[in-house]
Amino acid sequence: MATLAPPVPDAGRDPSPAAPTAHRRRRGGRRAGKPGPVTYTLLTLTTLVSIFPLYWTLVAGSHTNAEIAATPPPFLPNASLFDNFKLALEQAPIGKAILNSILVSGAITVGTVLFCTLAGFAFAKLAFRGKGVLLALVIGTMMVPTQLSVIPLFMMIAELQWVNQLQAVILPTLVSAFGVFFMRQYLISSLPNELLEAGRVDGASTFRIFWSIVVPVARPAMAVLAMLTFLTAWNEFFWPLIALTTANPTVQVALAGLGSGYVPQQSVIMAGTLLGTLPVLVVFTILGKQIVGGIMQGAVKG
Amino acid sequence: MATVSFQQASRIYPKAERPAVDSLDLQIADGEFLVLVGPSGCGKSTSLRMLAGLEEVDSGSIVIGDKDVTDAPPKDRDIAMVFQNYALYPHMTVEENMGFALKLAGIGKDERATRVREAAKILDLEPYLSRRPKALSGGQRQRVAMGRAIVRNPQVFLMDEPLSNLDAKLRVQTRTQIAALQRRLGTTTVYVTHDQVEAMTMGDRVAVLKDGVLQQCDTPGALYDRPANVFVAGFIGSPAMNLVTGDAVDGGVQVGSAVLPVPRDQLTRAAASNGKVTVGFRPESVRLAGPGEGLPVRVDVVEQLGSDAFLYTSLADAPDDVLHSADLVVRTEPRTPVTTGQQLWLSADRGALHVFDAQTQQRVD
Repeated sequence: MATLAPPVPDAGRDPSPAAPTAHRRRRGGRRAGKPGPVTYTLLTLTTLVSIFPLYWTLVAGSHTNAEIAATPPPFLPNASLFDNFKLALEQAPIGKAILNSILVSGAITVGTVLFCTLAGFAFAKLAFRGKGVLLALVIGTMMVPTQLSVIPLFMMIAELQWVNQLQAVILPTLVSAFGVFFMRQYLISSLPNELLEAGRVDGASTFRIFWSIVVPVARPAMAVLAMLTFLTAWNEFFWPLIALTTANPTVQVALAGLGSGYVPQQSVIMAGTLLGTLPVLVVFTILGKQIVGGIMQGAVKG
Repeated sequence: MATVSFQQASRIYPKAERPAVDSLDLQIADGEFLVLVGPSGCGKSTSLRMLAGLEEVDSGSIVIGDKDVTDAPPKDRDIAMVFQNYALYPHMTVEENMGFALKLAGIGKDERATRVREAAKILDLEPYLSRRPKALSGGQRQRVAMGRAIVRNPQVFLMDEPLSNLDAKLRVQTRTQIAALQRRLGTTTVYVTHDQVEAMTMGDRVAVLKDGVLQQCDTPGALYDRPANVFVAGFIGSPAMNLVTGDAVDGGVQVGSAVLPVPRDQLTRAAASNGKVTVGFRPESVRLAGPGEGLPVRVDVVEQLGSDAFLYTSLADAPDDVLHSADLVVRTEPRTPVTTGQQLWLSADRGALHVFDAQTQQRVD
């Protein structure tokens, strides 16, 4: 039992009779709050399973088609990676597609986070007539399948002469019902009314309260929403395929055009996919740091 | 600095059966420290929030200085508020928290820093100016909330139970500090609490509320000595005043087998509505009398506090009638040789008796 307990810094130095009690309490705390070997094993397995597809993309993308098809398949990356990148870039406008996807996903993310936070704040904390009905309507839109709106949407962008233009992909998804609901729930639970009242007494306008008090408090949720939105927008395939042409595609549309000969060229597809995934990994790394809990700690005594 | 006046101000919450605040009339003098006190749900916080502009006024009006602010937003009222849970902005440092209102008011960086530092000095917060609220103790957070209010130099301070989150010792300490600070700054202050000891020790005047209705507003001494009705009599003072109700008889009020002496004309007026009279007396104005003289009681509990002792007693010959049975508290010299279960006789001076109409609950003099 003693070997399982974490080192207690004061245990050796503190000869007072209170020490054993403190020790026991810490061990109890460890059992309740800190993970044990089983948790670590499970987490390690989950991590490996999650990482494997990405690793396999790297391995497959760095071999030729014949090498991947061999038995047993290769398990380590190879030097052909850059040749495959080159092939992929020749077969589809992946560079342009990545740029397009960054523009589209970036705009959608900024728009969604901003508008959903604004709407979520209004639904969570402001009093106005018809609030309940409006919220029900917003949530109700989640029940309408995307496919249903494709034809009217296409007619609209055709009317606006936006076919094959990026705004055709950006504008329809600039705000999401899920995001509004998500921000509302977060603000209801994390933003005490007293903070808003303190702001009002301090002389802040509603917009100032939003900007100086609500946004800092909502930052962790905004980061989560940003990450989810960026991923969804980046992976979107159906609507960009319809609204854009292969000459001006997003990443997913461009990847679909890769290795589409008589025999699919797995290695080129994988190399292209790897290229298309890198920006997402960068975004994930940046935003992951933003998701810091405990920002509300100390605002109100509780 | 300004006067504050509530004129028939009412607040009725939607779908509520009765007003949360009912026709409140209250004049607060310039520089006065007024405490609103009452049990929970009595409307004291609502009254304060109406004054702050955080709650609508459904009828009547509120005036600060010579300006009617009934419909003015909080920022146009020149008030500062200290919240029960402090409501410090979690992402700002102590300095930014205190300077936020000044920043919004468009006051320059240098003056802001000077004023924040002055306030921090008064409140002993200088070492913590660059900390965030989560790195502060409860007492320090409370002081930051105070600092945020005083830095603005407003016309009126509003405080909504600012001490209720502190531990007992710190509460007593901070209580005197706040009172001293208010005297020093001379700013009109409205302070809400449910703790009558806080109310009595801090306020120039104390307003007692119950069910949204103002019961009495007077100096702490006057509230204690001349409570306007049975509620105030029972609410102010610790332990509470002893209140017994009995029939008006010749020479006084019949309680159990004893008659508490009440002057004839006072008795007549008090008994006018239904023949019953409520009599109150403070624990400290009761004397132990000789056997057979006065009110016979049985001692249930003896509380020795060192400085004095409290005897919790019940009427010895109490009939099974709720109106006639009552628990009576008596303050005696410490270490009085009294044991639980012992029978005693109590007497109260005629001048120490408070007489109320049992029907209307109003004081009769």
